[in-house]
Amino acid sequence: MAERAKRDWYNLDNAAVLYSAIQRHDYSAVYRFSAVMAQEVDPEALQRAIDRTMPRFPSFCVTIRRGLFWYYFEPLRAPGPYLAEDIQNPCQPIRFDEQEGWLVRFFYYRRRISMEVFHALADGYGALTLLRTLLAVYLRELGHEIPNTGGVLDVDAPPDPEEQEDAYARYATSRVKRGMSEPVAYQNLGTPEPYYTLNVTMGLLPLDRLRETAKRYGASLTEYLAAVLIQSIMARQRRQNYRRERQVALAVPINLRPYFPSRTLRNFILTVRPFIDPELGEYTFPEIVRQVHHIMRLHLTRQEMQAVITRNVALQHLLPLQLLPIGVKNMAMSLSYALVGDRPYSATLTNPGAFSVPEEMEHHIERMEVILGQAYTPRVSCAAISYRNTMEITFAGTVRESEVERDFFRHFVREGIPVKVISNREN
Amino acid sequence: MELDPTARSCPLCHTPVVNPAQPVREDLPTPFPTERQEVPPISPRESILLCSSVLGVVSVCCGLLNLLFLRTAPWSLYVIGACAMLWVWIVLPQVASGLPVWGGILADAGAVAGYVAVIAALSDGWSWYFALALPVVAILAALACLYWLAVRRGRSYLSRINLALGSMGVFLLLLELLIDLFLTGTYQPTWSVVAAAILTVLLLLLLVVRFDPELRERVRKRFHF
Repeated sequence: MAERAKRDWYNLDNAAVLYSAIQRHDYSAVYRFSAVMAQEVDPEALQRAIDRTMPRFPSFCVTIRRGLFWYYFEPLRAPGPYLAEDIQNPCQPIRFDEQEGWLVRFFYYRRRISMEVFHALADGYGALTLLRTLLAVYLRELGHEIPNTGGVLDVDAPPDPEEQEDAYARYATSRVKRGMSEPVAYQNLGTPEPYYTLNVTMGLLPLDRLRETAKRYGASLTEYLAAVLIQSIMARQRRQNYRRERQVALAVPINLRPYFPSRTLRNFILTVRPFIDPELGEYTFPEIVRQVHHIMRLHLTRQEMQAVITRNVALQHLLPLQLLPIGVKNMAMSLSYALVGDRPYSATLTNPGAFSVPEEMEHHIERMEVILGQAYTPRVSCAAISYRNTMEITFAGTVRESEVERDFFRHFVREGIPVKVISNREN
Repeated sequence: MELDPTARSCPLCHTPVVNPAQPVREDLPTPFPTERQEVPPISPRESILLCSSVLGVVSVCCGLLNLLFLRTAPWSLYVIGACAMLWVWIVLPQVASGLPVWGGILADAGAVAGYVAVIAALSDGWSWYFALALPVVAILAALACLYWLAVRRGRSYLSRINLALGSMGVFLLLLELLIDLFLTGTYQPTWSVVAAAILTVLLLLLLVVRFDPELRERVRKRFHF
């Protein structure tokens, strides 16, 4: 850490290397978290809160620079980031050399406060820690008493160096390197919308009813949502009437912190791949839930995940790869991502879980929202987050069709769970 | 399923909202902003500078080496010509981003013709250049322009393959004509007719697939399009 303080830059972590390499002029790995407040947003107070909060999170106050062999992070001394009025088409691609180099953006619209983050900076855990603290500081700016408890960090305290650690490197110590070669899955592609359009459809559901239903199937909430999504995608593939149907598989990011203790606010996730092979025959919904449940439990083991981390980090440190100039490396990584990183999945489903805040903050926030930016190929991604008794599930993508989300939300209605749907699609 | 009171249609099935008991509330704010915004496109300046300097440095270094040390033959003109051609192929589309597609094709073809002219000049081969190389480049450019004109309004995948196969057949027939005229002065088609016949069979097969919906569906299923 002392070394990092001396040198004015630091390396990208294993996930960040990938996200920066696959960056295209029309694609960035960007996600958005939003808090819908009980009152209309005061933009001036919010800007003050951003200015007070950001220095406490140095891993977000960086820009990405292009070296000869690798990208690297450099601390930003430019003012900002500046709050902006929200737009209809969120999660726009990030430009490394524009907006003073900021890789995080803040927006407001009526009662909604939104934060967009380039995935190379942090995963959902890190971003939600920043947003939780920002909301606390914002509410303090409005005159409310909010304590530094329940995950709210003290913005007057110096940053904890461990929050900036590359936790992948710390845990890449397995004797075995586990590969991740997976078969090609059904791609679930749709008709691409014009450039920059991101269709967002959100469903708001009562969390207690969802939990109850998931429990009835003997699954966790994420497993239950994954099963409903797989079923909806399987139905779409069936309607397309292929002679041979491919596996329907999801990329479900897993927060590694419960398995490998770390206070890092940077990326520390791996994905697990629940899937159903429709070629094996017809599946009832309870069978899909059961298979998803068992796959996820089977692969979420500390030992297996550590072997995968070790392989990923070893790849990053491979000498021939290190010696390639960054332009060639980016091309090679983009190609390999398109072939083996993206094709084994039909969609992404992420559920960062319940957003918790100190009791004093609870009634100031109505609900939380999450949007995964556009996928690498034209298809929808699904993200969910819960706050108090509202589960918010978002489908976002650059495709015109909305069959998957329609079937997905209809499933809950059939199960007796009410759904409220809102969307940014033009009426 | 409940919709937002401002929704005029269902975002999932696009059914219009017609509910006399609960009309669409135009007076309420929509759940999302309606203003669009787009990040500016990436400026190609950096890429233009990088490519131009790499090609320029290679040309200058080879030219100087040729002039000062390795003076047996003007070999550096091959390298300089290739760099100039690559510049037209890679950098010109970025510099002149408003250039129409046909303009780009003609510029690319012009660059090839120019480079082949350099080779012809250095190897004393103007006869094959005017009788063979230049017409071949011109035919390729013309076929590429025609192909672009045919597909620019959007054609199906099969139609584009058909057009490509047809263009290839025409090109091979013309290529043998040019070679025959250059070598013997008479046209006696042999291999190009065989190639064109194979391409025609393929083209006809794909045309049948293209215009028979049932067969097209079977092919789509088999190949998982």
